[in-house]
Amino acid sequence: MVEELKTVGHSTPRIDGLQRVTGRATYSADVQLPNMLYARVLRSPHPHARILGIDVARALAAPGVKAILTHENCRLVWSSGDRVNKRYLFNNPVRFVGDAVAALAATNRHLAEEALKLIQVEYETLDFVLDAEEALQPGAVEIHPGGNLSPIISFRSTEPGKREPSTYVRGDLEKGFAASDFVFEDRYVSKHVNNAQMEPRVALAHWEGDKLTVWTPTQGIANCHRDIARDLNLALEKVRVVCQYMGGGFGNKNQCQDTDLMAAQLAKETGRPVKLELSRKEDFVCVHGRWPTSQNYKVGVLKDGTLQAIQMRGYSGMGPYRKSGGGISGVEYFRCPNVKTEIYPAYTNMAVSANFRGPPYPQGVFGIASILDHIAHELKIDPVDFYLKNVTRKFRDSIPYTSSGLLECIRQGAKLFEWKKRWHPAGSQQGPIKTGIGLAAGGFGASVGRSSAVLRLDSEGRLWLHVGVTDIGTGAKTTMALIAAEAMGIDMDKVRVISGDTDRTPYSVGESGSRTTSYTGYAIVEAAKDLKQQLAASGPPQGDEVLIAEATPSPRLEGKVRYSFAVHFVEVEVDTELGGVRVLKYLAVHDSGRIINPLTATSQVQGGVIQGLGMALHEELLYDENTGIPLNPGYYGARVMTHVDVPNVEVHFVETEDAYGPFGAKAVGEPPIVPVVGAVANAVFNAIGKRIKELPITRDKIIGAVS
Amino acid sequence: MKPISRRSFLERSGTGMAAAAAIPALEAPTFQSRPLPAEERGREIHLKVNGKDHRLEVEDHWTLAEVLRDHLGLTGTRVGCDRGECGACTVLLDGKSLYSCSYLAVWAEGKEIFTVEGLAEGTQLDPLQEAFIEHDGPQCGFCTSGQLMSAKALLNSNPNPTEAEARQALAGNICRCSNFNRYLEAVLATSGKGGSRG
Repeated sequence: MVEELKTVGHSTPRIDGLQRVTGRATYSADVQLPNMLYARVLRSPHPHARILGIDVARALAAPGVKAILTHENCRLVWSSGDRVNKRYLFNNPVRFVGDAVAALAATNRHLAEEALKLIQVEYETLDFVLDAEEALQPGAVEIHPGGNLSPIISFRSTEPGKREPSTYVRGDLEKGFAASDFVFEDRYVSKHVNNAQMEPRVALAHWEGDKLTVWTPTQGIANCHRDIARDLNLALEKVRVVCQYMGGGFGNKNQCQDTDLMAAQLAKETGRPVKLELSRKEDFVCVHGRWPTSQNYKVGVLKDGTLQAIQMRGYSGMGPYRKSGGGISGVEYFRCPNVKTEIYPAYTNMAVSANFRGPPYPQGVFGIASILDHIAHELKIDPVDFYLKNVTRKFRDSIPYTSSGLLECIRQGAKLFEWKKRWHPAGSQQGPIKTGIGLAAGGFGASVGRSSAVLRLDSEGRLWLHVGVTDIGTGAKTTMALIAAEAMGIDMDKVRVISGDTDRTPYSVGESGSRTTSYTGYAIVEAAKDLKQQLAASGPPQGDEVLIAEATPSPRLEGKVRYSFAVHFVEVEVDTELGGVRVLKYLAVHDSGRIINPLTATSQVQGGVIQGLGMALHEELLYDENTGIPLNPGYYGARVMTHVDVPNVEVHFVETEDAYGPFGAKAVGEPPIVPVVGAVANAVFNAIGKRIKELPITRDKIIGAVS
Repeated sequence: MKPISRRSFLERSGTGMAAAAAIPALEAPTFQSRPLPAEERGREIHLKVNGKDHRLEVEDHWTLAEVLRDHLGLTGTRVGCDRGECGACTVLLDGKSLYSCSYLAVWAEGKEIFTVEGLAEGTQLDPLQEAFIEHDGPQCGFCTSGQLMSAKALLNSNPNPTEAEARQALAGNICRCSNFNRYLEAVLATSGKGGSRG
């Protein structure tokens, strides 16, 4: 247990709650400028086609139209839209249904939409491929020159751009299988699901002389700032990014979006501010969602359940542009002497796939947790005992963790959930309605690194905290204020947070990868040390005086790995006649180190769990295989969770002491979605005695499995 | 497929809560408004919003959400999908909850509209707003106005809802941060308290 602190660790309502409940919070779409134009985007109706010609004459002559961009007159590269190939704002050929063909600005949004219909495009359709494994078969249409195996994109790689699967090896796989009493093999499939954050993408661009201001919903104003400046070839000080409130992203608003660049370019050409709004359907198809995967496992174990060898060959469908790693992770949560994972990220003509909360984990945990649960079942070992025996003690069995509450999460969770009492052998219940329980474990890196904070103390005792966060819903502004209040030993009501504006705040790491608290929160602690020294030396500021402190620490872990852990327990009820799955009980036990704000941290965990339930039971972006057209973009089609679908989610924190981060806080936001799908899939198996190996676990699959 | 204008679509659906999920391919923009004859343009309407009277000229195909946000500056009403799927744009129309993205402004002539900006009286928050803050309802906050207005409509007609009734009443308001249970706690904590404005 961690030692109690004065401010940190106490449930505190969000400091911007009032703005959020009165409608006064200003989101990017709420900003209106005088003389503003509205922009809309024409998109490809084909999954793969060459543009033979574009005729914009009629559209340009339409009422209110001021400018049109196409690949013919705009050759800007959207560098964060693809980290390997050049992705232009407007591409030829177009490579998925929804690829941008033209953008147009007009005096109002209706005229803009009308005028889009007047743009004439002549296409030559090309072959297309939707499935990652098919895309890698000989003879598949090449989406980019050089083939459909997307190159390694890790910036740490010594050979970026090399075309080979992303591979990890330890030990000797063949020896491991030879030493095993049993070897199991299986295949699991996960699907493309959309982030579906409530706020659609929008960008408002405004030039004052040679300075560009962009109001845009972003998870990282600093990333967005850097990306816009780079792509428009502007000096950093000539670009300002503003995002005071943003309506979620879960990973799809981390970089600059093409809409930011389109709005900027249209604003430049017309000399007027331009607001580009994406429709919900465009947001589902043209931004990005989680990558679909197929995963082939081969696992060797001893009779007592000790893991001897794990092999995983996986395929990730990245869509036609490469924005993200495309990993399939989860094997690293288990200790095992012999491991080989090989992942083939492939280009396809589906919607682009990239980061969505806990990026490589929920789908990977579905695979590994399913096959390990199957092994425990075959060996007649209680899954809790199986986990206690096999979960990771050191990262990749070699590097120590800075702290780990993983075993404690399993033990406390099993007790709180009354696992032993609820347990029954798989499929052993009679009658059409069956219940079952399952668990899965996971985690997420709680890295540390460079970020900045500026503190300014005035003579009224107010502490002005300048941090480049945007608060994507995590409560980051409140978390930062709590850390500052604690570090300075002052009350929360003295803290004023200035955020979300690159002209007014220093660099902050993007709000992704669960980094803001560990990085920027730690910078606040460091800046506060300086400020306290100044206070001690010169006393409190008087009159117009202010004391200012800045810190940009770059902490390092010195040979350790820092992780947050999560173990989830779920009980489901399966209707074997109608195929429905209902969650009866859900317990999420998390080690996120010290919890800065239990109120918002609990909300984060509940939210992540429910998003995971949507992925497990409902969501999939379906495509017509004959046309390559997405069939169900939108909330109804995706069947995202609603008020009537959600169970109660119990949250329990195991607060381990950790020597890094602000007061020992680790990652909170990413981990909650990680174990959900695996835990639910295992509970369904326990209920019906049949394993669903392809997501989502829908009625048709349940009925197919039991009949 | 024959182009469908927003107006004809909404009129055919016969209600502001457009429930059907039409899923055409992506070649068309969000909706297609047909050019209106001159005599239909620029109709003057009278709206009563949060107790205030407004006279304004609207085009027939403008939605209520659009008029509230872009022409009356009431941007607290959010637009998340603009097609009656998400509930972020929920307002009260004569005391009942309504998706304002799926209701034409001209239909609101003479009706009484309440938006999130009308919930508080001066600096006195509505009990629902207080509970939303206390129970940590908003994460990103984009759906919050809609959740509040649906909850308000519920408590207006049913001051002491059961949990199931509250979930049902809020079912049309998606929260992708998935803070559903927090919102529910806040609504149940408020039930039976506070008067009914709007």
